[in-house]
Formats: sequence, structure tokens, C-alpha cells
Amino acid sequence: MLRASALVLLAALAMAQVSSELITPEIRRIGSRLACLCKSCKNTVGDCAMLACHYSKPARERIRDGQAAGKSDDAIVAGFVTEHGRQALALPPNDGFSSLAWWMPPMMVGFGLALIYWFIRRMRKPAVPAAVSAIDQKVLDRYKESIEKDLAKLD
Amino acid sequence: MENVGALSLILALCFSVYSVLASLIGQWKKRPFLVVSGERSVYAVWGLVTLASGMLVYALQTDDFRLSYVAGHSSSTMSPLYKFTAWWGGQEGSLLLWAWILSCYAAVAVYLHRHKFCHMMPYVTATLMVVQAFFLLLIAFPLSPFEVLAVGKEVTAVPDGRGLNPLLQYWTMAIHPPTLYLGYVGFVVPFAFAMASLITRTPGDAWIHTTRRWTLVTWLFQSTGILLGAGWAYAVLGWGGYWGWDPVENASLLPWITATAFLHSVMMQEKKGMMKVWNMVLVSSTFFLCILGTALTRSGIVQSVHAFAQSPISRYFTIFLALGIGLVVYLILDRLDYLKSESQLESVLSRESSFLFNNLILLASCFSILWGTLFPVISEAVTGEKISVDAPYFNRVNIPIGLFLLFLTGVGPLIAWRRSSFESLKKAFLMPAIGAVLTMLVLAAFGVRHPYAMISFGLCAFVTWTITSEFLKGASAIAAKSGQNLIAAMVELTHRNTRRYGGYIVHVAIVIMFIGFTGAAFNLDTTKEVGINDTFKLGRYELKIKDLKSGNNGHYKWWHAPVEVYQDGRQIHTLTPEQRLYATGDSSSVVDIRRRLHEDLYLNFAGMTADGQKAVIQAYVFPLVTWIWVGYWALLFGTIVCLIPSKVKLQFPKTKVVGVVSGKETPVAQS
Repeated sequence: MLRASALVLLAALAMAQVSSELITPEIRRIGSRLACLCKSCKNTVGDCAMLACHYSKPARERIRDGQAAGKSDDAIVAGFVTEHGRQALALPPNDGFSSLAWWMPPMMVGFGLALIYWFIRRMRKPAVPAAVSAIDQKVLDRYKESIEKDLAKLD
Repeated sequence: MENVGALSLILALCFSVYSVLASLIGQWKKRPFLVVSGERSVYAVWGLVTLASGMLVYALQTDDFRLSYVAGHSSSTMSPLYKFTAWWGGQEGSLLLWAWILSCYAAVAVYLHRHKFCHMMPYVTATLMVVQAFFLLLIAFPLSPFEVLAVGKEVTAVPDGRGLNPLLQYWTMAIHPPTLYLGYVGFVVPFAFAMASLITRTPGDAWIHTTRRWTLVTWLFQSTGILLGAGWAYAVLGWGGYWGWDPVENASLLPWITATAFLHSVMMQEKKGMMKVWNMVLVSSTFFLCILGTALTRSGIVQSVHAFAQSPISRYFTIFLALGIGLVVYLILDRLDYLKSESQLESVLSRESSFLFNNLILLASCFSILWGTLFPVISEAVTGEKISVDAPYFNRVNIPIGLFLLFLTGVGPLIAWRRSSFESLKKAFLMPAIGAVLTMLVLAAFGVRHPYAMISFGLCAFVTWTITSEFLKGASAIAAKSGQNLIAAMVELTHRNTRRYGGYIVHVAIVIMFIGFTGAAFNLDTTKEVGINDTFKLGRYELKIKDLKSGNNGHYKWWHAPVEVYQDGRQIHTLTPEQRLYATGDSSSVVDIRRRLHEDLYLNFAGMTADGQKAVIQAYVFPLVTWIWVGYWALLFGTIVCLIPSKVKLQFPKTKVVGVVSGKETPVAQS
């Protein structure tokens, strides 16, 4: 059992080799535009914390190699999109159907605001008509006093 | 034994179905004995589900590896505590826990309210038992935790079980799922009352008051569960994050948000008789989001590291959700008359309006999280294209929403009920606004340039000012009248209106948490391969590897890396992160954290280099993160204060029409 453990350990730990070389600001800059597709996290390639991640680690190596070959950031990202489709991108693209990912939340806020506007208009008390002035001032004062007492208790 | 467990579940299912029928028929046909027998069936269901749960726990404790569930989620080497937690470590067991907690809630709700709401209780009982029957159906048949391993027709056993994932063998993870479930499941009770009030067209405030208290208790459990999960992720997973926008995490947040909205808007119904339809929608949404969250965790619809193995139960949940939502929509539309508002909005500048905006922003946050969570599935279904919606999307959309909510947290208390004037608002906002601007200027002077961080800290100052001034204003008045000191006066003030001032304490808790969240803008990290006596720097810290040790305790093999922490040349601490390798082949990190209020130093032993000479250390500095956990304790305290009855019994008389001035149809009101 121990021997088996040691073998598994070697396999597990060897993955952690030379990790620091792949976590540079330059690699992170491009990595932050790419989704980690390991299915275990919702991070980007730039900030996936699993050093031995089966997706992020080779992705970082690929970014490093691309940078060493003098490729631009966009070209490196495009390479990932070509291979994995647009799911390789950390953010949904703002075009076609996927733009709905961005537009729906503000649209819903707009809809909510319209609903509140409608609600306020519908629920707002109408202005007090002039007829009220016909009511005896003493009666009005009594009601006002009562209302003020109620209001004081409201909170 | 497994037969007793399985039979208990089937009997519990029968009793829950009987309870539904007896309650409804008893009410329709005016047969009180049937109604009472329906209520008593609820207790029987509780007894039977408790028996089944006890059977499963017994099987786990006695290593009964004939049971597939025990073999899959426990092992003989696990401690009794973690054998117990294996109850909810797998799909079947966790559904049994769901059903058991629901049976407890149902029994308590029926027992407590059977007299007070006797005309509503048959429908409350029926609703609770419909949900109960649904979950019992799942665990009695397709996902039974009492399934035995068999070869041919012979029951067999494996020598030892697979055990619980080592990452789950941690104290917060031991209590995180049940606490979260106490929240999830608890929302069924307010929903049941809402349905009963819709069906019976029950007016009045008593049931909404009861519902609010249930919601508050379950909201507290949900908050605790979410924070326990965050604390576990932070302390165990080795990456220092507490929130990853995973679909299952999001699923737990969604009902929490709608419940928060309900806890605010219900005040409008209690005090003004307004927003009745909206409150029905919120209570129902909270319940259905709980069911959706449970479904997301178990169906494999969305990819999640938390999700249980894919299973065919998504169709059951889909049917249940579709029928439930359909019925609720019908009931609300059919009873719109009864849900009519009792009073009107007197001014746009009023507390009532601020609640509307508070609800809008909370719901916008809820929608954006739900939309982001489901969008990959929707996109693939509509266009066939897979799209990633990851943490950067959620942060980009939700940070502005969160900041606006924080702003409203400060604005609400400043606006009076009924109406405010621009003048009074100007007076109330002036000093807090100056405080916010000053805070931002001071931060800028100290070199802070992160725009969101500056806004967040400014808003924290704004809200703290408004709430503190509310406390001081009230306490000063009491102190002047009674001669008490200010602290005693604050306690007195809070005791007089626990709901209002407890709510303010919860708002302060949210501010404290936001301070912690905002600290993330200044996180630092590095990853180094280091040997004995190697040093490296992170921020103001210098870290030196003192030793590399390894050993085996029979349960797992371990590697330690004691790391000396220096600041300005002086040793201030020694941290010892650890890496473990279990006999099952699972490995886990045990991080070590130097926790301070201003920042945490967090070390993770990620592994060894291939030559076995150097340790791979991930080091992080997390500024202000401790304030998140401090905020939780404040939230707990504030919520408990809210639940304490006020010393002064407050009444909220509603305006009613007592007459009309002759010929003019102008109503004259009386309280």
C-alpha cells in the first residue's frame, strides 16, 4: 500500500514542477482573457490556482511559447479560440446571441425601473381637491394631530 | 436494517400523501377529524424519516459496507464525526437530510400554528406535505440510500469503503451542508403560508408577521451556510478564495437575495398594506429558487465542482418546478383582487420608494447571477455554441450592482415613511456624503487608485455615518430624558424597537463584509520553488524555509514545510503549511494562515519539485479579508436582535375611509 502511495505521490507532486516560471505578469495578462476549461473552477488561465491543472498549466506554457515566438496577445488568444471555440474566452463575446449575456441584466434593470415608474404613477395619491377646504378647520386639525401621532409610532 | 430504513421511507411517503388528501378533503368537506389526522400524519412522517435517517447513520457508524451508499462515502478509518457527516456526503444521503429537515420544520410549524391559523393550516399542511412527498418519492425509489451491493441475488459487502473526500473532512464542511439546508428547506414554511393565504384569501397581518419570522430564521441559516462554505473554501482549498461564482455557490445565493428582498418589502405590507402581489412573488421565487438550486446541484445541468454525480432526477425536478410555478401563477392571477393595495404612495421621496429601488437592485443582482449561471446552457441550446461565463463576468456585472446596494443601505434609514422633502434629505445626506468624499480623498492621498475600491470604502463610510447617526440621535434623546449613559441608552433604544435597530446592525454587518470584499482589490501572491534556507519576498514579508519534513501516520503521508516569517528583519511568526496524501490516492493541502485584522498571510504547500529537493510554496497576502468573518458575527448578532420581541409594542394603524364629504367624494380618513 505504501509503495502504491509513493507512486501516486510522485505522479501527483511531479506536476508541481517549475510552476513559478509560468506565473509571470506577462503570462497572467493574456491568461486573464482565457477561461480555464478544467471544469473544476470558474477562474481564468491567469488566476487558476491549481498549479498542476490539466488545462491551465499547458495553456500557460503555450502562452509563454507564443510570447517567446513574438506573437501578439490577440494572436495567442485567437489560437486558443481556433482550437477550443469561443468557450476558450473568459468573457462572453459581445456579438450575436452571446451579447445577450451582457445586455439582459441592464435590460432587466430598465424593465424594473419602468415597472417602478408605472407602480408609482398608479399608486400615487391624487392631489387633495379643493373641496377639502370646506371641512371645518378644527376637524382637520384633529385628524392631522392623530396622523402625526401615528407617524411617530411608524418606526 | 436496510429494509427497515427503506420501508420507513415508503411509509413516510404514504403518510405524506395521506396528509395532503386528509387536510384538503377535511377542509372542503368540513370534517375536522380528517384535518386533525392530516396534521398528525405530519408527526408520523417526521418519526419515520427520523427512523430512516437513524438507520443510515447507524450503518455509517458500524461500517455496514453492504450498503452501496456506505461503501461509496465512508470508510473504516474515518473518525465517528466524519462518518456521521457522510450522511450528507453523497446524493442519496443529502436528499434524505433534505427530507428529514423538512419533516422537522413541518412538524414544528404544524405544532406551533395549528390553533392560531386553524382555517389556514390544512392548506399549510398540504403544501408542506406535497414538497415532502416529492423528496420522499426520490429517496424511496430512484435514489434510495438503502440500496445494497449484490452479486447476482446475493447481498455482498466490500472490505472497506471509498471514504469521504479528504477536502470535506474539515469542521466547517461538516456543518456547512446541514446549515445551508436549514436555510433552503426553511423557506418552504413561508411559502406554505403564502399559498394557504392565497387559497383562503386570508387578509390581515398575523400570517405575514409569522412568515416574516420564519423567513428571518431561515435567512440566518442560509447566511450562516453560505459564510461557512466561504470560510471552508478559504481555509481548505489552498487558493485563498472564498467565492468562486461556481453554479452551486450561485444557487445558494439566489434564494438568499430574494429572501432579503422579501424581508424588506414585507415591511411595506405590514405597515401600509402595500406590495401584496410582489411579496407573494418574492416568497414563491425564494422557494422555487431553493428547489432550482437543489436541482442544479444534482442534475448535472450545469458544470460545477460541487455537483453530485449526474443522475436522472433532473426530469423530476423540472416537472415539480413547472407544476409548482404554474399553480402559483394561476393562484396569484386569480386572486389579484384580494391582493389589492390598501393604501397609496404619497411621495416619490419616501421610505416606500426606497424599498422599491432596494427590491429592484436586489432582483437585478439575482437575475444577473441566474442569467450568468444558466447562460452557457441557454447559449448551447439555442446556437449550439459553448460559451464560458466565468468569474470575470460575474465580477464585472455584480460589483456595480453591489455598490449601488451598499449605497441604498445607507440611504434607506435617512428617508422618512410617507414623504420626505428635498430640504430634509439635503440636511440628512450632507454630513455622510462629506464623510464619504473625505474617506476617498484620504485614500487617494495614501496612493489608492483602484476606482471600485475607493468608491466602496467611500460608501462604507457613508453608510456607517448614517447608521451611527441614527443610533446616536435616538440614544441621545433617551439619555437626555432618563439620565442614562449613551451606551445604556443605545441598548434601551435597540430594545424598544429591536426590529429597526437590529436591522441597522445587520446593515453595519454588510458594511463590514464589504470592507473585507474590497480588500481583494489589493491581494498579492507569488509561487516559488524553494529549498531549505531559501528565502523569498512577498509584500512586506520575507519568508524563509526552515525545514522540509515528511512522515506517515498510517492514515495519510504528510510533508511539512515550516516557514519563518520576517518583517523588517525581525521574525514575527512561523507558518507550517502541509501536504497530505491519503491511502485512497486523494491528496490535500493544509494551508497555514497568519490572520490579522489588516491582512492575512496565507501559505499553501502545493507540492514538491520533481527532483524532490524543493517545495512549491504558494504565498498570498489578503488584505482585510478577516472583516468578512467579523461581518458575519455582526450579522448573526443583528439578526438575533431582530428576533427578540421589542420592549415597546408597536402598532401600525392603517388609514381607513370613514366617510365622504358631502357631494365631493373626498374621503375623510381615520386611524
